[in-house]
Amino acid sequence: MATHALSPAAVPAYRGGIYEWLTTTDHKKIGIMYVINSFLFFLVGGMFALLVRTELAQPGIQFFTNEHVYNESFSIHATVMIFLFIIPMLAGLGNYAVPLMIGAPDMAFPRINALSFWMLPLGGILLLMGFLVPGGAAAAGWTSYPPLSERGALSSPGAGQDLWIVALILIGTSSILGGINFLVTIFKMRAPGMTLFRMPIMVWTILVTSVLVVMATPVITSALVMLFIDRNYGGSFFNPETGGTAVLYQNVFWFYSHPAVYVMVLPAMGVISEVLPVFSRKPLFGYKAFIFATAGIGALGFSVWAHHMFTTGAVFLPFFALMTFFIAVPTGVKMFNWVFTMFRGQLTFSTPLIFAIGFLTMFLIGGINGAFSAAVPVDFALHDTYWVVAHLHYVLFGGSVFGVFAGLYYWFPKMTGRMLDEGLGKVHFALMFIGFNLTFFPMHMLGIKGMPRRIADYASTAGWNDWNLLATVGGFLIGISMLPFIWNVFVSLRNGKVAGDDPWEGNTLEWATSSPPPPYNFDRLPEIRSERPLFDARHGLVAHDTNAPREVEDGQKAIGAGPGEGREGQA
Amino acid sequence: MSTSPRKPPAPGAIVAGGAVLLLIAIVGIVLLSPAGSALYPPPPATAQAREISQLYDIIFAIAVVVFLVVEGLIVWSIFRYRRRPGDTDLPPQTHGNNLVEALWTLIPTVLVIFMFAISWQTLDHVDAVSADPDVHINALAGQFQWQFQYLDKDGNVLATQRRAVGDGGGMAVPVAKSVYVTLESRDVIHAWYVPRFLFKRDVVPGQQNHFEFKVDEAEAGQTFHGQCAELCGTGHRAMLFDVVAMAPADYDAWLAKLVEAANATPPPAPSGAAVIDLAAQAIAYDKKTLDAPADAPFVIAFKNGDPETITHDVDIKGADGAVIANQEPIAGGTTGQYQYQPLAAGTYQFFCSIHPGVAAMEGTLTVK
Repeated sequence: MATHALSPAAVPAYRGGIYEWLTTTDHKKIGIMYVINSFLFFLVGGMFALLVRTELAQPGIQFFTNEHVYNESFSIHATVMIFLFIIPMLAGLGNYAVPLMIGAPDMAFPRINALSFWMLPLGGILLLMGFLVPGGAAAAGWTSYPPLSERGALSSPGAGQDLWIVALILIGTSSILGGINFLVTIFKMRAPGMTLFRMPIMVWTILVTSVLVVMATPVITSALVMLFIDRNYGGSFFNPETGGTAVLYQNVFWFYSHPAVYVMVLPAMGVISEVLPVFSRKPLFGYKAFIFATAGIGALGFSVWAHHMFTTGAVFLPFFALMTFFIAVPTGVKMFNWVFTMFRGQLTFSTPLIFAIGFLTMFLIGGINGAFSAAVPVDFALHDTYWVVAHLHYVLFGGSVFGVFAGLYYWFPKMTGRMLDEGLGKVHFALMFIGFNLTFFPMHMLGIKGMPRRIADYASTAGWNDWNLLATVGGFLIGISMLPFIWNVFVSLRNGKVAGDDPWEGNTLEWATSSPPPPYNFDRLPEIRSERPLFDARHGLVAHDTNAPREVEDGQKAIGAGPGEGREGQA
Repeated sequence: MSTSPRKPPAPGAIVAGGAVLLLIAIVGIVLLSPAGSALYPPPPATAQAREISQLYDIIFAIAVVVFLVVEGLIVWSIFRYRRRPGDTDLPPQTHGNNLVEALWTLIPTVLVIFMFAISWQTLDHVDAVSADPDVHINALAGQFQWQFQYLDKDGNVLATQRRAVGDGGGMAVPVAKSVYVTLESRDVIHAWYVPRFLFKRDVVPGQQNHFEFKVDEAEAGQTFHGQCAELCGTGHRAMLFDVVAMAPADYDAWLAKLVEAANATPPPAPSGAAVIDLAAQAIAYDKKTLDAPADAPFVIAFKNGDPETITHDVDIKGADGAVIANQEPIAGGTTGQYQYQPLAAGTYQFFCSIHPGVAAMEGTLTVK
């Protein structure tokens, strides 16, 4: 046993094959396992979505002769997508990228890192085992509002709901451990010169996300434990029949689950904030403003949970409406930051940039249609209709998932040493983009015309037939769009172009080491004088700003949020 | 500015730019097409809905402008600022601009405060309740149906409408009168939602929610479809109801008839008629097949073993799907004697009209 565990001399050789992967504490391997595991659950969740869309393609019950299975399908679809795909997928990208980006050899607690990964497949298997128990899997929606999720003949009699609770507590614990690990890593393990305001935006978003995770996840865990006690030990937290309060669960649930939306979207914003500057050959426009906007979103995120409950008649509407509207401000700041990063740049349309642009265009819609729901009286019309389904998918799919793919195309060369095929990547994007909009844009029309969520059937006279059919066609197109991606990964792993250390002319430290990086990441680090150390190494600090010689004396100012630094000089 | 000669855009720029343009085109087509109403709410039917619809229009206008401005900037950047082969020099390394950044913080702030102010104003009107409403209805939601209790000024139940949809069913309301609705559930959470009222409110057990609306006078004679909007279990999608708008005189007559029917004593079953036992529990009949004598009246002694809020009935359909017998639903925990006219020999279907499409609430009636 070496005294200095992190010293390269003490690094044991990698063990071979599967044994190495099963026992690894290397953040890069764990990150890759996060990604693979999350992608597999993405396929599972997508399959359930297609089952739901198949049923809704036409009026009448065609597919789910047992409608309970329909309810199981949309409940498990959402649970898998949120808790086993988006959140861990982004945590996985963070796991891979953060130590590299801050010039650290690994996460602060490598074994806890392995533990938090391995809880995920376990939780996922527990959740899906619901289909094997009498009564089937959880069917009360991913929100599982009591009293419907309480034990009762007409509510949730089976053990599937209990498995759902246990799985979510496990996954939540994994998140908390991961969050603490990120916080300690970011605060304690940055390379010399990497001040907080020189950190890549990706690291900042993971930092804010981790704060949200650590503060909010224990709250939903408490709600889940209370629900478990209600169901199994005769508790009376949420059941009005025995003196409980049904809406209490919703308050506690959304106190976590609204910040969880930002857990699902902030790291994806981080990804595209890395991608856009690199492929525009410009720094991020308004680096510090972007960081403050990220922190602002995180903070405001704790004061808007009840906008999911406007129709319960049990919340103070004006406060939550105002806070919800305010969230649009920092989000708008970010949107303009991104657009102005491209503005007057030199754009190279590699696949990561195209997915990032996809994020921008669709996240914009997801933000705009959210404003409708923030206006309380309009929300009375839109709440629990397909409008909300459209809104949340534009944010989480059009936004986050496109961001995830931007990240996968961006870091695949670093992870594997090989490039993904650009042509297949563009086919993937085109199919997914068209499929996505065909699926989810018509849901606005369905929602405003009155189609509620979570119904297995609708009257053929309601006027919803065409939009539903279109949405189903789009859904299958999204499914098909995964084929070129999967094919691309397999082909490129064997025959892809060799990437080299820095195929994109990156800005951040992960491109300073080999692809894939060695154990413990770096043999040597470039000097870190700004948020773009590799850019500085390539072009020299002077090129960093067109007419700002003073940043040579003060690297901190070069970052650019200071007043009027060389900004007018370029016209 | 780059001086390199103009080249056709890179394939990637076409994919990305084409995608954004496609998106703008989709939104544009939806907005401008004759079916352009697709993104607008259905015609509002109440005074409250009209205000919500107006609020929607304002926010919609702001949304369209924001959408076009930002997507336009994105498209412009994609086509104008692609990297050309001659671009070896770096573009200007712009880190920010305090003036624009302040502007795009301030303008949205003003915009959202404006939207908040007008929605608060609308909310005040939508949530207002008159001191002495003209009609008071208690909507009782249960898995998976609605009942509407008509209350007098003191809150006593005058009569209950147990048939929520279809012929002779629905929650009847007078037009141009204030209708005050209280919501009650004794099982899980439901939501009362009528799209043309642009309104929904949750029905939360252990908590009494209420709201008020006034149907426009021009809507007399209209039927508005509504349904439960909060997932309430397997029969969620079948939890439908109608709101039937009537001229005040028609409404008074309708209510008087409902009250009369509620107070009438049911006629005794004809002696000698065959009595068939049938029970329902947990939204399922206890028998899937029944036998009845041909060409003779018969009686089904029906026991509804479900909780009070869950109603059932036993109707009969012929082989052609036509409803032959249409009985009044009874509340949970009660029994009823349903009388049926003589039927010709053959096979029929008996079913619960409150739970259409629920397989456990259907069966075969063999008449021989």
